[in-house]
Amino acid sequence: MIRVFRTTSANIIISLTLVLAVVGCSPISPRSETGALDYTSQVITRVDGDVSVSASVLSADQSQAVYGVNLAKKGIQPVWIEVENGDDVAYWLMSPGLDPNFFPASEAADAFASKHESESSAALTSHFEALAFRNPIPPGKTVSGFILTNLHEGLKMVHLDLVASGYFKSFSFLSTVPGFRSDYRERKIFQEQVYAENEITDYTDEASFRDALEALPCCVTNKDASRNGDPLNLVVVGGVDDAFPALVRRGWSPTEQTWSGSVLKMISSVLSGERYPYAPVSPLYLFGRPQDLALQKARDNIHQRNHLRLWLSPMRYQGKTVWIGQVSRDIGTRLTIHSPYLTTHKIDPDVDEARTALMEDMVYSQSMVKLGLVKGVGAAAKDSPRGNLTTDPYYTDGFRAVMIFDVHPIALTDIKFLPWESREGGYLERFHTQEQE
Amino acid sequence: MSAIYGMRKRKPRPHPCAWFVFNMLLISMAHLILAGCSSWQVPPQADDANLRDRSVTEVVKGVRIRAAVLSSEDSLQMFGVNISETGVQPVWVEVENTTQQLLWLLRSGTDPDIFSPLEVAWSFHETFSGETNTRLDDHFDAMGFQNPIAPGTTQSGIIFTNPHQQTKFLNVDILGEGQIFPFTLFPPVPDETPDRQVIAIVERFAAAVAEDYQEIETFRARLEQLPCCSTNADGTETGDPVNAIIIGEFADIVAALVRRGFRRLELDVDNVQRLFGRIPDAVARKAGQGGVPANWLRMWLAPFHYQGQPVFLVQTGRPVGGRFKAPDSEALILHPNVDEARNILVQDMLYSGGLGKLAYISGVSVASPEAPRSSLDDTSYYTDGLRAVMFFQARPLALSDIEIIDWEPYLQQRESAALKENAHGNTEN
Repeated sequence: MIRVFRTTSANIIISLTLVLAVVGCSPISPRSETGALDYTSQVITRVDGDVSVSASVLSADQSQAVYGVNLAKKGIQPVWIEVENGDDVAYWLMSPGLDPNFFPASEAADAFASKHESESSAALTSHFEALAFRNPIPPGKTVSGFILTNLHEGLKMVHLDLVASGYFKSFSFLSTVPGFRSDYRERKIFQEQVYAENEITDYTDEASFRDALEALPCCVTNKDASRNGDPLNLVVVGGVDDAFPALVRRGWSPTEQTWSGSVLKMISSVLSGERYPYAPVSPLYLFGRPQDLALQKARDNIHQRNHLRLWLSPMRYQGKTVWIGQVSRDIGTRLTIHSPYLTTHKIDPDVDEARTALMEDMVYSQSMVKLGLVKGVGAAAKDSPRGNLTTDPYYTDGFRAVMIFDVHPIALTDIKFLPWESREGGYLERFHTQEQE
Repeated sequence: MSAIYGMRKRKPRPHPCAWFVFNMLLISMAHLILAGCSSWQVPPQADDANLRDRSVTEVVKGVRIRAAVLSSEDSLQMFGVNISETGVQPVWVEVENTTQQLLWLLRSGTDPDIFSPLEVAWSFHETFSGETNTRLDDHFDAMGFQNPIAPGTTQSGIIFTNPHQQTKFLNVDILGEGQIFPFTLFPPVPDETPDRQVIAIVERFAAAVAEDYQEIETFRARLEQLPCCSTNADGTETGDPVNAIIIGEFADIVAALVRRGFRRLELDVDNVQRLFGRIPDAVARKAGQGGVPANWLRMWLAPFHYQGQPVFLVQTGRPVGGRFKAPDSEALILHPNVDEARNILVQDMLYSGGLGKLAYISGVSVASPEAPRSSLDDTSYYTDGLRAVMFFQARPLALSDIEIIDWEPYLQQRESAALKENAHGNTEN
């Protein structure tokens, strides 16, 4: 295992005192808003041609009511799905598309199995299996059931890939999860228009879009915009139907809001090295507001995860929404006095590495159609790095990645390159110059 | 409800705050003791000559790859620290680009959970040693593989992967302009006993004077005659079912598996199962989060080909408990719902970009949950009796390109099974 805890002993002792003073050793009790136990009251439906798909993400109480056990406690969240197939071909619903680390019904049942009571364990497994979604979905039929995913609090990206012979359909939903305090509950972004129509600019040609992207601010800021933080090294073109599914397929999920319970949970997770899916993400600011969407890709444990923050911009590109973002790779957790939460992620100072890793990962997402690089961050050399808001140093070549997504799946050989920094000077030019030196 | 499900009693745990205080003090003490003990130096001989000498190589359309897995000794010599101690397997890769295109090595294709150089360096940082740590970072950074690979140039460097055993299943996807240069190499893993199995697959396939089926219908008939299951060593007892067939070049199959997070890992429990009188030719496991037991895939090369390509008999399953297995239990026991594991493998492969055609075929024979069939080591399983048949291709494919062959009346069978569903719950995902 990678060794991760790094700070000075003095710092630890100071921070320890502060942490104890702040958290006051209170037990963890996430507030549960006991809502209706009927999960069908929050069903969302989408229709594409002759296929209709409905989904509902269950709260902790609802899943307890359906399964008879506390799935949420084990980090499991059922998603109910119904596919009405009016087409003349059979479809397969793809569980790994919804969550690459989903729980097979039998495995989730194992979480509650008793060593000594094999009969009740068998009954439990049989109950879980009966509730599971069953493939395939024959022509003219309706099939419904549950897929067991990793627990997401607040907001859930529900993405469903349906595969038929030589054919494919995908359906995407953003769903709020009842029963949890949410990062997103009060955000306008998923409720109503953030920008008035007259504030939005739709760029139709690549050159003017490139100019607009280069003119964006270099970095995120703190709340009153008095200090610069991490570089804005990402532009995502697309939205719920194309860009988000790509992220979900590759294991990205929204984060919980930053609140005291989660801080305490994270601290105990740091110490035990357990995989805890909700390391809190501190708010960073752009366009005068905190991130609209914070995502993370959990790896083996809390110490290894990548973070992605996105803000909806007032730009459109050929009608698609444009998100500006920041991606970084955590290489450990350290205590800090620069964050009210007293812990922070140690980020990889080579921030371009995280940007490149995301681009490479999206190549395998089946939804990225174009990629390129633009200026706008401003270079920071390795020997004179800039600092982010929690004083982590970083250095960069100054480019931001631009990724354009589309609903229709494409093979990775069909991905096109934007003829920007990667072709006419810029990134490639710099590379050639290095070679000659 | 809870009485039915027999909830397990949990041991009382110390209050989290008590752990916090205890651990913090422990860490502080350890840091104070360790401080000033050692100081890392840039190794004097950090060149890659040794690795180049023992590298494996492959050429695809004007691009040559050389690769070697670093031993502990290599790591000490090149990095001044033993990287494998941290659970990271460093691999040296050289890309020689004789094409006219700018190329890019996609590290996600080699390992979806790749480590960055500075991430690995961080785990070797010393307390109170800012300058040393900077030198350490600089060294790891310089040794890491750098993209892109310009036309007519050669780039080499280290990529930091999760470990494979004995022989690395090394997938290297090089992206060009509108094309991919796919490489699958099998470099040996040093510091471990030499591996005969993977070499045997390649040799056995090359040496075999085997029936080669050209027509899909005769091939299908041949598949249906295959044994249902493996056996024990002396052939007296039947083992786990052969619940999948994979057709394709071994390298293409491995590439698809690696892209979806499978790693080479063979355990003693796998070698209990015999087919054609031998232990599995290759075993891969899908990495579970946090080092938990993972789904497995055991492969045996069949004594016949399809259109000149190898055919593999496959057992796929997952252990009872999975991610929720008690940490004190060592055994990997087959979960009786083997169809679920089979269908998870199919879905995973659909996302790999390597699966071209999919079919289902009979051959295992049905075993119901009420009357499960026995396997080795007191395990048992139930199944709908079908095998997944997967045809792999080198060309990367989109989800909409996959052809589903309607061999077995799978859909009708599912419908009739669904009618029975209310009586008892057998399921698939």
